[in-house]
Amino acid sequence: MKKFISMLVTAALAVSSVFALAGCNGTQGSGDQGTTPAVTGGDETDETAAPAADFKVGAIYINSQNDTSGYTFAHHKGITAAMEQVGLDPAKDLYIVDNVPEDDEKVKQAIDQLAGNGCNIIFGISFGYINAMDEKAKEYPDIIFSHATGYLSNDTNFNNYFGRIYQARYLAGIAAGYKSLATGNNNIGFVSAWGTEYAETCSGINGFTLGALSVNPNAKVYVYEISTWGDQELERQAAETLIDTYGCGVIGQHCDSAQPQIVANEKGVFGCGYNSDMTTEAPDAHLTAPIWNWDAYYATAMKAAMTNPATFMTEVGIYYEGLNAGLVDIAPLSKNCEPQTAEAIALAKDLMTKGEWDVFSGVKLSFSGDAGSVTVAKTDAALKTNEGAEIVAAGGPSVEDSVITGSMNYYVEGVTQVN
Amino acid sequence: MRKYHLVRRSNPRMTTTILLYINGLLLSLLVGAILLYALDIDPFEYYGKMFTMGLIGNKYGFKTIEGLLKVFVPLLITSVALSISFKMRFWNIGGEGEFLVGAICASIIAFNSTGMPNVVTIVLMCLAAMLSSGIIGVAIAALKVKFNTNETLMTLMLNYIMLYVIRYIGETKADWNFFLRADSERPKFGTFPDSAIMGGIQIGKFKLLWAVIIAIVLTAIVYVYLKYTKRGYEINVVGDSSATAKYAGMNVGRIVLRTMFLSSALIGLAAALTVSSAGTISDTITNDVGWTGIIVAWLGKLSIPAVFIISILISILQYGCQAAATSYPAIDSNFADLMQGIILVFALIADFEANFKLVETAEAIQRRKERKQKRIERKQTVTGKAEKTAEATKEGTTNE
Repeated sequence: MKKFISMLVTAALAVSSVFALAGCNGTQGSGDQGTTPAVTGGDETDETAAPAADFKVGAIYINSQNDTSGYTFAHHKGITAAMEQVGLDPAKDLYIVDNVPEDDEKVKQAIDQLAGNGCNIIFGISFGYINAMDEKAKEYPDIIFSHATGYLSNDTNFNNYFGRIYQARYLAGIAAGYKSLATGNNNIGFVSAWGTEYAETCSGINGFTLGALSVNPNAKVYVYEISTWGDQELERQAAETLIDTYGCGVIGQHCDSAQPQIVANEKGVFGCGYNSDMTTEAPDAHLTAPIWNWDAYYATAMKAAMTNPATFMTEVGIYYEGLNAGLVDIAPLSKNCEPQTAEAIALAKDLMTKGEWDVFSGVKLSFSGDAGSVTVAKTDAALKTNEGAEIVAAGGPSVEDSVITGSMNYYVEGVTQVN
Repeated sequence: MRKYHLVRRSNPRMTTTILLYINGLLLSLLVGAILLYALDIDPFEYYGKMFTMGLIGNKYGFKTIEGLLKVFVPLLITSVALSISFKMRFWNIGGEGEFLVGAICASIIAFNSTGMPNVVTIVLMCLAAMLSSGIIGVAIAALKVKFNTNETLMTLMLNYIMLYVIRYIGETKADWNFFLRADSERPKFGTFPDSAIMGGIQIGKFKLLWAVIIAIVLTAIVYVYLKYTKRGYEINVVGDSSATAKYAGMNVGRIVLRTMFLSSALIGLAAALTVSSAGTISDTITNDVGWTGIIVAWLGKLSIPAVFIISILISILQYGCQAAATSYPAIDSNFADLMQGIILVFALIADFEANFKLVETAEAIQRRKERKQKRIERKQTVTGKAEKTAEATKEGTTNE
C-alpha cells in the first residue's frame, strides 16, 4: 500500500512539474511577442496592453454563456459582438456571473464580484434582477447599471432597456396570415410562456394577431399558455394540442426552444419561431421568426459609458427602440412563405421604421394584391379587446409605451386563450 | 473467489492521512488543469484566482470576505446540526426542508416587524425558526420512534414539499401574500424592513455580522454539549447501539426525539440568521447547505472541530470557484461546480484510502500458501530426481 501511495505522490509531482514548466514557457512566449524588448515578465506586458482597453464590462446571466440557443445566448452574442464593435476584447474585458437565479441576495453577490473585478458597466439580463440592481446602483455610484426588461432607473447610473418586439411579431403575423389564407385554414395557434399576466407576452400575442388580421381578417389566434419561460416537453405538448384539437395550421410561439416549430414540421403545418431563425430545426414548416439584435443596444450603451459615464443617462437613458434602431427584426423569410409575404412585410416595416404608423393604434393596415403588386391601405378602426372593450378610438394614437411594457393585460379581438 | 477485501485501518496515521489528502487535491487539480488547457486557459492563473477567491487586485476585497462569511455561517451551523443527528445514526437528510421551514417562519415575523426594535425582531425570528424547524424534526423522529418509519425517506421528501411550498409562496400574487413586493406587478419576494435586518460590528469598511459570532459560539457550545454532558454521551451510546442504550436503562425514544429537535432547531436557526443577513427570502436561500452539510459532516467524521475547519474550506472552495469563473468569459458556473465536484470526489477517495486498506482474504492467503507449498514440494521432487540421476551417472562413471 505504501508503495502505491508513494507512486501516486511521485506521479502527481512529476506531472505537476511538467505543467509548471509548460506554464513558464507560455508566459515567456507571450513576453517575446511584446514589442518592447526591455520588458521582462508577463505582468508588465499586461500593463502596457491595459490602457488601450481599460474598460471592463460585467454581465449577469440567468442561464449560461455557453448555451447554444435561447435568451441568454442571444444576449451573450449581443454583448460580445458589441464589444468587438467598440474595440474591446471579449476574452479579456468581459466578466460574467452566470446561472444567477432571480434571488436578490444572489444578484447582489454577483454585482459585488463584478464590481470587485473593476467592471465599469454591469448588464443584468433578467427581469427579477431589478430590485437588487436598483439598490446596488446607489452603493456603487461609479458603475453604470443597465437592466433588460425592467422599469426602474435613476438619474445618474441606472437605466433599463428593451425593444419593440411586438413590431417584429406583427411582421411575423403577416407571414402567418398569408399562410392561413393560402391553406384556407383560419386557425392559428400560439404557444406562449405566459398569457395576460405578463405585458411582454400579452403585447407579443396581440402584435402577432394584428399582423395576421391585416392579411386575413377572418384569422383566429388560439393561445396555449405553458406558465413557464421554457420547458421543452410542455412546449411540445402545447403545440400538439393546438394542431390536433384546435386544428391550427400555423404555430407562433413565445417560449425558449424550437419544439413548437419541430412539432409543426412533424405534423405538416407551418409556424413562426422566436429569438433565432428556426428554419434549420423546422425546414418545411418555419416561415420567419421575430429576432433580437441586442448588439444594437449594447454597442450604444458601451460607447456612451466609455466616452463619459457621467452623461450616460442623458445620452442613452431609458432605451426602448424597435425596427428603427435595428434592435428587433425578423429572420430571413424561408421558402415556405407565400409569395406576397416579402412585399407586404417590407411595406409594414417601412411605415414603422419611419414612425408613420404603429401596431397598437386606432389605424389598421390591410394588405391586398398579388405578388408584385401588393398594396397597403390604412383605415381608421378602433382597437378593441376580445371582450369588446375599446382601448383606442378609431383614428386615435398608439397606446403608451408604459402600457405596452408594463400593464397591457388584455387580448385584442381575434385572440382566444384555450387553457 | 474474492482475492482481496477492504479492512478498516485500526489506527490511521495523521501524516499519511494528510499526505493522502494533499495527493487527492493535486490529482483533482490535475484533472481540472487538463480541462482548462483544453479551454485555452492557464491553469496556474486560474487556480491562483480560485484559491485566493479573486481577492488579489479586487477593488472591494472586503465584500468578498463578507460574501464568504454569508456562505460560511449557514453551512457551519447546518453541518454541526447534521453531525449531531448522524452521531445518533439518525439519517437526517432533510436539512434543506428544515432550513426552508425555518426561513419561512422567520420571514413571517420579519415582514410584519415594521417599527419593532431590531434586537427583539431578530430574537423572535430565531425563536420562530427554531421552533418550527424543531417541531418538523420531532414529528419525523416521532414517526420513526412510534412506527419505525424510514427517516431517510421522510426527511428527503420533506425537502421537496418545502421547496414547492416556498415556490408557491413566491409565485402566488394575492392579498394574503405579504411575502411579495406590493410595488411589483409580477410576483417577486419583498425585502425585510430595517427592523429585521442583521446588524454587525463595523471594522473600517468591513462589517462583521453578529451571525458569524453567534455561529462560532454556538459551535463551541455544541462541542461541549456532545463531549462533556450526560446528554451528549447518551447520543453517542444510542448511535453505537440502541440495544446497549436500552439495556443501560436509557429512554431511547426520548433521546431520539430530543436530539432530533435540537438538530432541526439548529438548522432553523441557521435559516433565521441567513434570511436576516440577506434581508430577504427566496427559493434558493438555502444555497444547498442541507446537501453540502452532509458532505461536510462526513468529511469531518462528525467531529465538531473538524466540521468547523471543513466548513471554512468548503466555503472558500465554493466562493473561490465562482470568483475564478467570473473572470473568464469561457468558463461558466457549470465548470465551477464541476471543479468543486472533482475536488470533493478526490477528497472522499483520499479519506477512504486513509481509513481502509486492501487486504488479501484468508482464503486467498490460504491458497497462496498451498501453492507455495506445492511449488516447494515439486522443486524437491525435481531436485530429488536430479540428485538421483546425478548419483546414478556418478555411479555409472565409477562403475566404468
